[in-house]
Amino acid sequence: MKDSAQTLVRDTAANVYQPYPASILEVKEETGDIKTFTLKFKDKEIQEGFTFRPGQFVLASLFNCGEAAFSICSSPTFSDYLQLSIKKVGLLTGEIHRYAEGDEIGLRGPYGNGFPLELLYGSNVLFVGGGIGLAPLRSLIQYLLSKRSEFGQITIFHGARTPGDIVFEKDLATWDKQEDVNVETTVYRSTPEWKGNVGPLTSLWEKATISPSNTKAIICGHPAIISYVFFDLLKMGFAEENIISTLERNMKCGVGKCGHCSIGSKLTCIHGPVFTYREMKELSSVS
Amino acid sequence: MPDELILNKEHLTSFLRKIAREHRLIAPVKNRYGDTLFEEVSCLDDISLDLESRPAMPPTHFLLPQDETLFRYKREDGQYYFSEVLPEVSTVLFGLRSCDLWAIFLLDMVFEQDFKDPFYLNRRSNTILINNPCLEPMKNCFCKSAGSGPFLTEGYDLQFTDLGDRFLVEIGRPKGKALVEKWDYFFVPATNKDKNKQYEAILEAESRFQQVVDLNTASLRFINNEVDETLWEELATRCQGCGACTYVCPTCHCFNIADRPISETEGERIRTKDSCALPGFTRLAGGHNPRQKRSQRIRRRFYHKLAFAKEKYHRSSCVGCGRCVEVCFGHVDMIRVVETICEKAEKRSSAASLQLGEILVNTGLISSEELKTALEKQATTGKPLGTQFIDDGLLTRDEIGRALWHQMNIPSTAETAD
Repeated sequence: MKDSAQTLVRDTAANVYQPYPASILEVKEETGDIKTFTLKFKDKEIQEGFTFRPGQFVLASLFNCGEAAFSICSSPTFSDYLQLSIKKVGLLTGEIHRYAEGDEIGLRGPYGNGFPLELLYGSNVLFVGGGIGLAPLRSLIQYLLSKRSEFGQITIFHGARTPGDIVFEKDLATWDKQEDVNVETTVYRSTPEWKGNVGPLTSLWEKATISPSNTKAIICGHPAIISYVFFDLLKMGFAEENIISTLERNMKCGVGKCGHCSIGSKLTCIHGPVFTYREMKELSSVS
Repeated sequence: MPDELILNKEHLTSFLRKIAREHRLIAPVKNRYGDTLFEEVSCLDDISLDLESRPAMPPTHFLLPQDETLFRYKREDGQYYFSEVLPEVSTVLFGLRSCDLWAIFLLDMVFEQDFKDPFYLNRRSNTILINNPCLEPMKNCFCKSAGSGPFLTEGYDLQFTDLGDRFLVEIGRPKGKALVEKWDYFFVPATNKDKNKQYEAILEAESRFQQVVDLNTASLRFINNEVDETLWEELATRCQGCGACTYVCPTCHCFNIADRPISETEGERIRTKDSCALPGFTRLAGGHNPRQKRSQRIRRRFYHKLAFAKEKYHRSSCVGCGRCVEVCFGHVDMIRVVETICEKAEKRSSAASLQLGEILVNTGLISSEELKTALEKQATTGKPLGTQFIDDGLLTRDEIGRALWHQMNIPSTAETAD
């Protein structure tokens, strides 16, 4: 040890990397590989102080397993819990699928910009969610429905690989029952029991009347499918700034330091994950 | 006490010895393999201090270590606890070079803006920077071109200029002043003669650079989209993908975050240096990778250093230390890339034209006849193919951009419906 003649200067900034413990209140199995976790911070003050915009994300820590970013899939209007829908694709997501009610995880956030709510007031909103891509949209759908009169016509398109892969089935049914909401679901590969639409997400266009001039399109899904969705929307006449998507990138720190989620000159965790098509086009040339 | 002092070279070791007693002292040390590296020095008598060569690794590793603990965690009776780690001791970095100081100033901005990084900032506010400007630029150095050296006029805590048998010591900031005041008996005030001698040394050093690297032109070419896109494919055949350029770069600061289990019940969250040159850097759970190809990763690195940093911090994040030039045996380094970009801009190769042509035909924006005509015209006009289409009124810049974006995002397998 050195002589303690030097006083250390201590920056009072809190440790942005340290999560807060949260309990799992409920685990709901959505599909064979997707579960929705309902979570609540253990510290009452933190739970009460936790506010977010639809489209923002949190970093979830699992004991001895690390941390990963997930979009919040519940609406900020439900203030005594938050939900994350997680597809089992890797180590951490595989581990959390073994967690049950009462188990604890760590959470920090919310991070990112969230959806541009101010642009949506008074407009029609078209949601296009491919697979688990419906999760971040669900937060916004629930939010818009809680303030229904402030928005125009709401159309929700969901595409899944097979009928068994459809997420938020109960929510989709509830939303569809509302008079002024149109929900359409399609599957890529059908089963004998399936009576609904078959085909890619882009096969749903004819199911709804969409007026490109006063509609904002909000899209989330695998890059393979959303690029076709963009192309069709542009062909229909959507302005580039009215096509809004949320991007998935490898994220480590969530606070704009680690460099992993960089896209062009932007960082997905700070400037995103929500970008308009116009912004994405500018960023795309520099991946 | 005046702001310019003289330290007789004979007293350097004694002064450093005093420092080492109260601080963690980091200085350039020549090891038994002949490499000079920044090392923690506790006993001045056991080491050979080397102020002649530029250390192979940057000193920024002491502000942002190879790995560090962010917090500790444990699990007891099903409950998950997190506990803080304490900051470390006060540090003096001695024998820094102006380029490395500039790198630290850049890192200061990165870790200060948006969310504050408590680890870097705590360490930084407990670090004293002593600069030793280079009188003799090394073979691959270009700090003068990068606007970061060889001498500094501010930012350092202390600056030691070698005047042969003595150092001219300039006090830059209060922390430096405190250090000198504490052991003021080593120092005498500098005379005008000493200051003149320093001035001569500066002029002499500035005239000795072997490398002139036009970072500004290269940055502009990037910003104006004038960089030949085939360059990255070409560089990818030379790059071995080892990531050494990012490990020796003083401004590279990317890191990974992971858990390091200690036992069944506890562990620590750590961050470790990471590199955008490695394929796993951007790979997502599930396998999709936005920067799958090596050429994309090389492109990213140079865009970041030369264009994005300029946009964000109003200067490129290359400080001209020359380390990447020395470490890369494929010569995918800053000097060569900047030279190539300055030379080859706007000269689109025929391969790139054909690739763009194919994309445009595939998306149905032009017919193959129109492509053929445009390629023939291009052979005489020498214009880039895209420009040729725009000038002929066949396509708009937007349509070309859209086609490229569309093409780029379609993975090879059709099996990924969601």
